Formats: sequence, structure tokens, C-alpha cells
Amino acid sequence: MEAKQTIAPGTEARGGGLRRRLAVYGQKYGILVALVLVCLVLAVVNEYFLTARNITNVLRQTSINGILAVGMTFVILTRGIDLSVGSVVALAGIVAASLATTSSTAGVAGGPYPALLAIAVGLSVGMACGAVSGVVVSRFAVPAFVATLGMLSAARGLTLLYGGGRPVPELTPGFRVIGTGEIAGIPVLVIIFAVVFLIAWWVLSATRFGRHVYAAGGNPHAAVVSGINVRRIRFLVYVISGGLAGLAGMMLAARTGSALPQAGIAYELDAIAAVVIGGTSLAGGVGRVTGTLIGALLISVVNNGLDLMGVESYYQQVIKGVLIVAAVMLDQARHRRE
Amino acid sequence: MKKTLFAILATTALTMPAMAQDKPKIGAAVYGLNAEFMQIWSAALEDHPAVKEGLVELTIFDGRYDALVQQEQFDTMIAQDFDAIIFVPIDIEAGAAAVDAAAAAGIPVVGSNTRVNSDKLKSYVGSDDVKSGYMEAKYVLDKIGCKGEVVIIEGPIGQSAQISRLEGNLKALAECPDVKVIEQQTANWSRAEAQTLMENWLTAHPDTIDGIIGQNDEMALGAIEAIKAAGLNVTDFAIAGIDGITDALLAVKAGDMASILQDARAQAQGALDVAIKSVKPDYEPMSDIWTTYSDMPWNGGTDAEYSVPWTPVTAENVDALLALRK
Repeated sequence: MEAKQTIAPGTEARGGGLRRRLAVYGQKYGILVALVLVCLVLAVVNEYFLTARNITNVLRQTSINGILAVGMTFVILTRGIDLSVGSVVALAGIVAASLATTSSTAGVAGGPYPALLAIAVGLSVGMACGAVSGVVVSRFAVPAFVATLGMLSAARGLTLLYGGGRPVPELTPGFRVIGTGEIAGIPVLVIIFAVVFLIAWWVLSATRFGRHVYAAGGNPHAAVVSGINVRRIRFLVYVISGGLAGLAGMMLAARTGSALPQAGIAYELDAIAAVVIGGTSLAGGVGRVTGTLIGALLISVVNNGLDLMGVESYYQQVIKGVLIVAAVMLDQARHRRE
Repeated sequence: MKKTLFAILATTALTMPAMAQDKPKIGAAVYGLNAEFMQIWSAALEDHPAVKEGLVELTIFDGRYDALVQQEQFDTMIAQDFDAIIFVPIDIEAGAAAVDAAAAAGIPVVGSNTRVNSDKLKSYVGSDDVKSGYMEAKYVLDKIGCKGEVVIIEGPIGQSAQISRLEGNLKALAECPDVKVIEQQTANWSRAEAQTLMENWLTAHPDTIDGIIGQNDEMALGAIEAIKAAGLNVTDFAIAGIDGITDALLAVKAGDMASILQDARAQAQGALDVAIKSVKPDYEPMSDIWTTYSDMPWNGGTDAEYSVPWTPVTAENVDALLALRK
């Protein structure tokens, strides 16, 4: 508002306008600049950072958190939060794995079943968890924090009940493709992540549903007045987040070779961190899934770089903390300007 | 509320002793039941002949990985006049207060599996982690011919098993001065974390890592997955872990790694025998573990410490060990 008034009279000097524009760009693309800078520094100090193998590693290490973060972006855009994704990772992973294991003790009778069936069931489990959270949030107006906190606990308990607390090992080669397979030298994990990201980017930027997600989060009252079914949008974003958490859980099990009941603990925090670092506002309505991608990459690159240099892992946590807060400070500065 | 609850508990406790004389009430407070090792431990406890024949009344409390929860479970057991407690603490220091409270109430506490920093323990039945750390490192070093480069994947820094296993690792490494430890980092007992760590190390040290010392099986298994993902040959590395979880037994069978089995059954059943003995002076141990391990004599159930031996998992004994898990 204020910006328009100042620029409209045309009295401002050109230099000032340029500086202003640079500042705006800096805020808009700051996180991308940060990622490029970190990569440059790592490329200089470590000879292995820019090798094809290491880049593949970074992408592989980003995929699972990246997929969770994409789902989380949808939820946060509607002013929500999904704390349950880590538990849903474990539940969907163990249910799908029990269908795709050759182990006689850990598997479902009659198994192993085809990998595609196991994956379909895992996705359904994730979406069902999301649907429950979604109903509780959208129909019963329970705050998202509380509803998904409940799901965090319940889904973890169901995971332990389902498998008797035991891991599910000996997964079939067909199922493990989603965690360890490669197509033309690119890990299947990364390909799945890329597909998920591209679909999410298309949905949010080019579809009516995407516009409604932004509207429902930006100004719910206005959205309702203009005929948008905000309840339905709020329900659907949790189904998306749950389904993606289910997918991530199966990828994790396939990658590690065994579905563990304690898998995914605290994964929701890394997912939220990626979204927040990526510039999506917790106040809803503002943000991009491309930002989330960059946020997730930045977290992985920092972890990877410190591992390569042999720096103690505790620094990784400190740096992640600084990144999260710095990103939100950037976000706040942008809001004040707008 | 709390006061009335305690009052009720106290009155029931007062009416109990006569019964308690015949059938000791024994509580087992374990740090958490979410992972395979403690599940095997608990199942073995319930499978003890004295429990199956109804000679003792056994209750297992899940500490949910929280020192405070364990403390409260001790309060409950004290209030309910349990006759003896078997304790597997989450934390070496935080458990001491719970042991003190039980000792003050005259209830004997027998430690099992993980240590607690208290001199009020009646006895401790567990395995010496320094030994297992030494054994696994020794395996790796022997396999690489006492020279080359190794990495150590550690448990959560500061946990008693991490401290002791590292001590054992370093003891074995001191015997091989030509071996260089090029990386040493925690993966918090987690397979997924170890996998990421190993992927990055394989990048940072291409073709130089000869051996991998994982302080537990999960992390050794994560390293194996990283090696496979990098398109390398697992048999080109010497890899070892500790605990003998089912997945690791399968990996030993496949020739991918070595593991040192920690006998959860012997730790649980041994602790129960010692606990019953402390309540019934004329009791003779009923578990078969005392005949299995001749290195660990019963000695009237009065030793301050019983050290359950570790069993290296080999191609020869792995099938028999796997059969026990079915």
C-alpha cells in the first residue's frame, strides 16, 4: 500500500528504486541466494561436494523430507499444521511392508503380495490418517495443532499395535525399488520426489484448487463469501499431507530395507523447517512450493557438507535452528513492507 | 485426589502381606518396549519357569523412554508393596533416585541390561559393554589385517552403552597402531541416520574405508545399505555390529557383517532368579541359563554382579539363533 503511494507520484530517484527493487528481490529470493552461496563455499572447501555421486546423495537424502515438506506446504498455506506426519510415516511404512515381506513371522498371511498392491494400501493408510485429521479440523473446528497432535500419538500407537512393536524385515525386491532402484542412473527416490514436486507446483500455481488453497489460507472469510468451500479445502490438504507421508514412509522402509516401528520420529519438525525456511508463512495464504524445495535442499546440503568435512553432527542442529529463525525474520520483514 | 489414592493404596498394601509371603509380587520397570531388544527381554521374563508355574506374580512396567515415568512407576510399586523390583533404567544417573526410594522402603532392586549409578542395587545382571565393543572392533581389525582405515558409528553420545562400547572399540584399536580412525560420529542407534552418514563418508573418502565399526546392529545395517546404494561390494568391507537383532542375524547369514549377540533372555531370567532369591531365602534358581553359561556361576544368588557372556554370531550358529526367534 505504502509502496504504491511512494512510487505513484514518480518523485523517487532512480537509484533509490533500484536499491529498493534489489532489496525486494533479496527478500524474495534470499533463500535461493543462501543455497547457492552455501553450495559455492562447500564446492571450494571440499573437493567431493560437486561430484555427481555426492549430488545424487544430497538429492536422495532430500527426497523423503522433501515429500513430507510438500504435503506440509499445502497444510500451512491454509493456516494449518500437520504434526502427525512422522507417525504416519511409520504406520504406512509398516503396514505396506507387512504386505511386501518374505518373512513368515512379520508378514500378512498369504504374502508377499505385489509391490503395487502394498504401495496402494500404504498410500490409503496415509490418506485415511489425513482424512481423520482433516475431518476433525474442518468439521469439528478443532485447532490443527491439537487434532494432528492427537494423530501423532494415535498413529504411533497403531504402528506398535499393528506390528507388535517388531520391525518388518526381508522386503521383496519389487517393493524395495522405490527406495533403492535407479532409472538411467537417477535414484527412484529422487524421481518420485521430482514427480511429487512438479505435480504440487502445477496444482498450486495453475489449478482452481490451488487458488482456493491460497484463498482459504489468506482470508478465509472472504473466501467463504466468494463461494469457496473452505471446509472442503481444509479437509483435502490433510488428505494430501497424509497420503504423501504414507508415500514417504514406504520409501523410507524400502530405502533402509526394513520397516521400523520407531521410524519417522520428529520428522514433522524437519518438514516444517523446510517449509518455513522456504518462506511459506505460518499465517497462511503466502508461500511457494518452490521455496519449500529450496528449504529442504538447504537443510540436506548443510548436513551433507558438514558430514563431508567431518564436523560433529551437533553443529548441524545448531545451524538448522539459526536457518529457521533467520528465514522467519526475513518473512516478517517482507510482511511489514507489504 | 492424590492423597486419597495413596490412602487407598496404603490400606490395600496393609491387607496384602499375608498373601505376599506365599506369592512374591515382583515388578519389572523397563525403559521402553518399542524396540526389539526389550521385547525379547520382556518375553523371556514372562517365560521364566517361576512365572509360568505361578510361583511369583510378575508385572512389567513400560517406562516409555522417560526417566520421570520410571520414577513414578517406582512410587506405584512402593505404594503397592511389591516384594522386589527388576530395573532396566533409561538413564544411568536419573535412575538412582528411584533405587534410593525403593531401598528406603526396604524393597530389593535388581538391575538388568543397563546400569544405574547407585550403590543400593541388590545385584546387577547384565553384559559388559566394554567387552562387546572390544569383540566387534577386534573382528573388524582381524579381518582387515590390523592395518587400514576404519570408521566408527556411535550411539547417542553420553549413553552408558555408547561410552562403554567406545571404550572397548578403542582398546582393540590400541592394539593395531597401523589402523587409522578416519571418521567417528553418532547416528543415535538409528539405521536411517547411519545410512545418510555412511553415504556421505563414502563420498568424502572414496575407496579408502576398509572397516566399519557400528556400535549397534541397526547402524551397521544402515552402513550396509549405503554401501549397496553406492554400487559398492559389501564384502569388500569389514563390518560389525552389536546386539544380534533379527535383521543382523539375517545379514550375518548372508555374509555381510558380524554381530555380537547380547543375550536378553539370560539377562531377564537371571535377574528374576536373583530377585526371587532376595525375597525367598530358600529359593533355588529355576532358569536353565545357569547351566548354559558355566562362566557365570550362581553362587547362591548373592553376587553383586552377574556378567552374562556375549556370543559372537557366526555362520555356524546363526541358523540355531534364528530358529529361537520364530
